[in-house]
Amino acid sequence: MDPGDVGLSTTLRANAPDPAHQDPARGGDPAAAGPGRAGPRTGARGRRGVPAWLGLVPFFLYITLFLLLPIGAVAVEAFRGTDPVTFATTWSTSSIAQVTQGAYRRAYLGSLELSLIAAVVAAVLGMALAVVIVNARRGRALRRLVLTASGVLANFGGVPLAFAFLATIGNAGVVTALLQNRFGLGLGGFSLYSMTGLGLVYLYFLIPLMVLTIVPALEALRPQWREAAENLGATGRQYWRHVGGPVLLPPVLGATMLLFASSFAAYATAKALVGSSVPLVTLQIANALSSNVVVGSENLGKALALGMVLLVGVVMVFYAWVQRRTQRWLS
Amino acid sequence: MLLVLGVYFIGPIVASVWFTVRRVGGGVTATYYSAIPGADGFADAFLRSLLLAVLTVVLVLLLMIPTVVLVELRLPRLRPTVEILTLLPLVLPPIALVVGVRSVLSWAPDYFYGTPLASAFYALQQPSLPWILVLVYGVLALPFAYRALDAGVRGVDLRTLTEAARGLGASWPRVLATVVVPVLRTSVLNAAFLTVALVMGEFTVANILGFTTFPTWIVQTGGEHPQLSVSVSILSLAITWALLLLISALDRRRPTEEAT
Amino acid sequence: MTAAPAPVHVLAAAAPADLRDRPGVDVRLQGLTRRYGSLLALDGLDLDITGGEFLALLGPSGCGKTTALRAIAGFDRPDGGRVLVDGRDITDVPASKRDMGMVFQAYSLFPNLNVAENVAFGLRVRHRGKAERARRAGELLELVGLADRADRYPHQLSGGQQQRVALARALAVAPQVLLLDEPLSALDAQVRVQLREEIRRIQLELGITTVFVTHDQAEALSVADRVGVLRSGRLEQVASPSDLYERPATVFVAQFVGTMNRLPARVVDGGAEVLGVRRPVAGDVPSGGPVLALVRPEALSVTADAAGPGRIVTRTFSGAVSRLAVALPGGVEVQVDVASADSQDLTPGTAVTVGLAERPVLLAPPEPA
Repeated sequence: MDPGDVGLSTTLRANAPDPAHQDPARGGDPAAAGPGRAGPRTGARGRRGVPAWLGLVPFFLYITLFLLLPIGAVAVEAFRGTDPVTFATTWSTSSIAQVTQGAYRRAYLGSLELSLIAAVVAAVLGMALAVVIVNARRGRALRRLVLTASGVLANFGGVPLAFAFLATIGNAGVVTALLQNRFGLGLGGFSLYSMTGLGLVYLYFLIPLMVLTIVPALEALRPQWREAAENLGATGRQYWRHVGGPVLLPPVLGATMLLFASSFAAYATAKALVGSSVPLVTLQIANALSSNVVVGSENLGKALALGMVLLVGVVMVFYAWVQRRTQRWLS
Repeated sequence: MLLVLGVYFIGPIVASVWFTVRRVGGGVTATYYSAIPGADGFADAFLRSLLLAVLTVVLVLLLMIPTVVLVELRLPRLRPTVEILTLLPLVLPPIALVVGVRSVLSWAPDYFYGTPLASAFYALQQPSLPWILVLVYGVLALPFAYRALDAGVRGVDLRTLTEAARGLGASWPRVLATVVVPVLRTSVLNAAFLTVALVMGEFTVANILGFTTFPTWIVQTGGEHPQLSVSVSILSLAITWALLLLISALDRRRPTEEAT
Repeated sequence: MTAAPAPVHVLAAAAPADLRDRPGVDVRLQGLTRRYGSLLALDGLDLDITGGEFLALLGPSGCGKTTALRAIAGFDRPDGGRVLVDGRDITDVPASKRDMGMVFQAYSLFPNLNVAENVAFGLRVRHRGKAERARRAGELLELVGLADRADRYPHQLSGGQQQRVALARALAVAPQVLLLDEPLSALDAQVRVQLREEIRRIQLELGITTVFVTHDQAEALSVADRVGVLRSGRLEQVASPSDLYERPATVFVAQFVGTMNRLPARVVDGGAEVLGVRRPVAGDVPSGGPVLALVRPEALSVTADAAGPGRIVTRTFSGAVSRLAVALPGGVEVQVDVASADSQDLTPGTAVTVGLAERPVLLAPPEPA
């Protein structure tokens, strides 16, 4: 998801798992409360005999037609090829083979490298910022300011963000001009129109996104845990190693993964900022689709898109695996 | 560290505002802003995006309110499935989705030529009002709308409320309209605002499918009139932020309003 | 995930020997002062706790009892005063080196560790071997009756079970002092009673010096050797439960502990005139004028009397004893405890006279209008 494209991340705050999910300290038997929220129910059938699941048909139909079907189409048609002479379409792995080589391979690697570095840097900085505002006991105002600003800035992506940076440190940017005319300096070899420049721009929405997702997890660390550990003779490091760290690891990984997915899928920002001078998969897909010259480039686009979906899928599976291993205690 | 981050986050905003109001040779001007309404193609693109936003909100709410309520009250077993499906668009690259949508749309000339289905496909792609964008934006908005509505449903004891209403003899549609929607007012507004902000900023899908919307218009204009496109960007940001600040104000009001 | 109700202990498991046969240590608080902004949480608190004693700190919220406990544990640094353990000044010793076991109000178990790992946590950070940790966790879980829950995670336990684990965890490191910070306040009434008795049983068995903070006077009176009543950061009285109940040193204590009727009275010749009879005064005599006599419900008696001034308003049955609310002239309503069996005729509406037992009464200044 590119916040520029998909706009909004405010609601992601609820995304962090709550490590403090212990049953409320009521006496008695937690099992007696029954399986969670299922109270007395009229069964899955309404009074007039209409099955309740009928009400979900529109939802599933919509999801199938506009989410699953297009992804399925990509997965299948990536294996179709068009003969350049007869224009007949046949089953072929040539598109798939093509996108694993040369410029396309470089684009994948470029996207992965950029997203990974941007995600990790943003995760570290965002985490540091979150720790500062959570621990600033007297800084209620600071905390409120940072959280509100994060909610707003996490959605500052895509086209407007690109233009804001162009106006600042682009070739004709205000800061660029200031440095050149007043101080006779350049940007020290830095170019906004490069991978590094793009990374710098991505951080602008990634850091707030990290703050938003991780603050709830930090707040869910109960002060009693720290005090209990101290009381039992643990040093600060021992507390973080045995309790704080393991409890925070899953939400931190989850948030980092979200940042990765965000920057990996980003297209609008890159398109508005660098055109196609930087090797990125999203830009290559757009190129392949807009090319009317090369026969079969449409299929190439599908193969590239399939690759993206698969890579995100791999990251998700890895995340789920880590989640399961680290969160046994929430089973 | 706070200072560096502060400069990093405030710098570009200040700089772009300065970029759009400085006058060559010194002084301040608002000409770029006053030129916006009359700019070539602006009104067209902006109004189209606005219309798309409203339609998407209607689609998402009509689809998700009954779904969320049904899952909460009657079909809690389906919750994990619904949750995963609605959250999928969060990690799925929109560009991959739109490539797929393009493939499916191209079936019209390839496979369904001359059938009513093909006409339907074409009808979805009218450049003046591309319904297909509404349908795809609905998918992209699902995670946000679902989370907002789900949080609202969990915040109140919907089961007791609806059972009370049903006990008093109200029909399900009536319960939905007179009990559920008013109770979820804040979350519904929340979901609607988030969806509007999303649609007003969406670039990828519109660009790949070749429609002109507000964001794609900004990029097209950017090449010839940098000041104009930056000032429009700032304006659109201001609108989005106002929406988001409104949401967070509503969020803050909620605990007192819905406390039991 | 199913968890059976907490087992009721008919036969208590024996405590590990190294925990049992130790003399309890003395804890002494000297002039503890703690200020939070403009709020004075501890106002020169002095308190001596003898070795092996179970002392309850009782008081309304904000009276400083938790602050005092946290000062003993080392979580809170007092602005002034000292904490002495066995005569040794530990005011500057960090919490992690104080050798005290603490049980918190709730949610203090480490969520990522199972029950046995939670109990053995103190030994783990002391780098004890795996076998020793497992053995110790087993012993302590036996002690609190949760040996069969060793591999559960905290969220799979009921609140009462969580607090038992917290107790086992606090005791596992063989602390010198056991500190309990309202450990029962988040539990259901029934579990609360059961667990407080169990805590007392274990405490007696171990002979460990224990400080128990609570706002519930019934809880404090039922388990403690002595109860200290705190008010605004100062001790009002420290006494055995029966002394506290029978001979409250101050009006505050009298009204905070147990139910107390307030009857209009007059001071006459150094005695008190209440309900038309004379009684000696316990404690201070307020200077002249109208005063209030503080009288326990069981010190009053009720007899049916068609000409009597009182009228029964409600009757609440609670087993052997029933409590009557009786309206007296002048808008005064009193609570009276009577034996249920002997008072079948005392139904609401009955006209009665109210009598006062032959014993000294406590007087309080009149309430401001």
